[in-house]
Amino acid sequence: MTDADSDRARGTLDRLADRLLDASVGERVAIATASTGLALLIGLVVVALAGYDSMAFLENVAVGAFGDANALARTLKFTTLFVLTGVAVAIAFRAGVFNIGVQGQFVVGGFATVVTILWLAPLLPTGATGGVLLMLLGTAAGVVAGGAYAAIPGVLKAYGDANEIVTTIMLNFIATGVVGYFVDGPFRGEGNRAPNTARIPEYVSLPRLVFDVPDFSVVGLAVTLAVVVAVAWVLARTRFGYEMVTSGHQVAAATFSGVNARQTVVATMTLSGMVAGVAGALFAIMIQGYYSDPAGIGTYGFDAIAVSLLAANNPLGVLPAGLLFGGLDSAGSHLRINSDVPVQLIDGIIGLVVLFVAAPELFRMAAVRLGLGGED
Amino acid sequence: MDLADSGTQRRLGAAVASVALAIAVALALDWPLADIVTVGFVERALQAATPIALAALGGLYAERSGVFNIGLEGFMIFGAANTGALVWLIGGESPTQADLWLAMALAVALSAVYTVLFAVLLIRYKANQIVAGLAVWFVGLGFGPFTAVLVWGNRNSPGLVSVEDVTVPVLADVPVLGPILFDTSPLVLFTIVLAVAAWVFLYRTRYGFWLQAAGENPEALDTAGVDVNRVRYAAVIFSGVMAGFAGAVLLAHAGSFTGTGQTMVNGRGWIGIVAYLFGNYNPLGAAAAALLFGGLDMLQIQFQTVGIEFPNRLVNLFPYAAVVLVLTVWGSTRMPSALGEAYESDD
Repeated sequence: MTDADSDRARGTLDRLADRLLDASVGERVAIATASTGLALLIGLVVVALAGYDSMAFLENVAVGAFGDANALARTLKFTTLFVLTGVAVAIAFRAGVFNIGVQGQFVVGGFATVVTILWLAPLLPTGATGGVLLMLLGTAAGVVAGGAYAAIPGVLKAYGDANEIVTTIMLNFIATGVVGYFVDGPFRGEGNRAPNTARIPEYVSLPRLVFDVPDFSVVGLAVTLAVVVAVAWVLARTRFGYEMVTSGHQVAAATFSGVNARQTVVATMTLSGMVAGVAGALFAIMIQGYYSDPAGIGTYGFDAIAVSLLAANNPLGVLPAGLLFGGLDSAGSHLRINSDVPVQLIDGIIGLVVLFVAAPELFRMAAVRLGLGGED
Repeated sequence: MDLADSGTQRRLGAAVASVALAIAVALALDWPLADIVTVGFVERALQAATPIALAALGGLYAERSGVFNIGLEGFMIFGAANTGALVWLIGGESPTQADLWLAMALAVALSAVYTVLFAVLLIRYKANQIVAGLAVWFVGLGFGPFTAVLVWGNRNSPGLVSVEDVTVPVLADVPVLGPILFDTSPLVLFTIVLAVAAWVFLYRTRYGFWLQAAGENPEALDTAGVDVNRVRYAAVIFSGVMAGFAGAVLLAHAGSFTGTGQTMVNGRGWIGIVAYLFGNYNPLGAAAAALLFGGLDMLQIQFQTVGIEFPNRLVNLFPYAAVVLVLTVWGSTRMPSALGEAYESDD
């Protein structure tokens, strides 16, 4: 291969990546909005068919998500988790790897965070300094654990040719089972009746700023935003990010220009799992303060797939998508208490959103029928 | 592609070798092997394998035709929830066997309706197959428990009814084989028949060859005057129907619906996908792999009976761990070459 050849390959690759990355943002937004609208509409029809009042349901959703300061804090609490796990998914999807295992990485990361904090707490000073130190070390442990757990399917895919969709799903079940066994047995807090670890010390907590609620802190939101910006920067501005995205879209071309596809797969999965680990750490420190049976916690890692898809796997697009899902989840908590419509409906609606996002042709054809542009 | 091809033979050899290794380990650890592998164990393993095998047969046909139906898990959840709800609506507090069979039939018919919509989305509107399949799972995870709450006011149903064993006179008295095959759930027998039929259809009929061609070389099939998308519609709808049936069978064996956690399906749809990958896209291989996973699933009961100390929750993870292992060792299956691509005829 001559230098001219390699330059040409590089040039082709550049143009290809540019085109794929900037593929009509407006159209994406339109499809995401239409998908969400259609899914909500079907949800309302189901509510009506089941014999409930659709308008009251819609009002409850709005009030539950943004009605007052408490609702807003709850929405933002879920949003932080959805944005982080959504970014974790987006990193992998961007590189053409399907990381369905974010839930497992989230669980492993959060558990590692709690165990590390409990283990180090007696060795470090108490008070604010110790608290910050423990939070940093705990988060670091969560990031390492999440990254390592995600590296397993990455290695299996790169070197064993194992389908990562299936392995990551299996590893989710395994993470839930093993951590569930740990919190039930070896790591159960002394005197706990429920299968929970001991509580992490009081001083290991994020400060209550702006919102005076025990399980959300603006600091958590700030950390989340910082991670999003960092990931967006890595993907758009670094060589590593470039290699990831190009190998995701064109394996042959990427290999041709000297990218090691196997290493890229492992690195991508690891980075994705590290972000899931941050989400796990935040969940453990900010929300729970201990670790419980993961079979009973939210399925943030699964819903994150929907978040990422809605955002067209764009790390910045994950912010509004995460807010939408945070709002829906928060509305679910509100509905649980204030409405007799079964809250599982919200999960179904989320699924429908994803289903419609998967089929852009549906909306393109609908747009053509309705005479809304449609030239493509 | 037949039982005789080299890939399948290698897999069979490897499977036999791993079973032999497991037996050797068990003997070395001085486990009471005869107490673990009992007639009851084989019976339970077959029952556990049945839903996995049914889902696998369906998924295999879809993938052979060039469409990856990754929504099997979701369709299974719908099948189980609908069967439970229908049994309740038809039979009330004390449904009969007839009510159960009617409910299963209706639930399977409903699955066909859902899958038609799914197939239209995939084939006509060229939806991303992976994403749409995952979405079906999400919808199932939400609407399964939603249905349960609507019908029973709880995510779990009360005890409904489970399917009665059939006993074939005379044959049931044959030692070992009698109780396993002729005094068992009719659904197990039906699945065995279906697996053999699926094999014959795929490898010995013209339609079977069309199905394979739709996944391997759709252009050639088109040139031969067969509508590729029609073949794919048939295969995808079959896969959804089979997954719905698998969910119905799961409910008929369990006798009640569980909508907590990942629902009562609990990953069996995903294991079904692995079963046909492991079985190298061969219906009989897929059924055998399903039996392997069913056996691993039931191992916990055997461990408890013979008193091997192993935390229950970890024994439950055997099938998942086995799946990861299987995919790692035999990961590189040769997928149909036109898999995942929408086909557009030139005319």
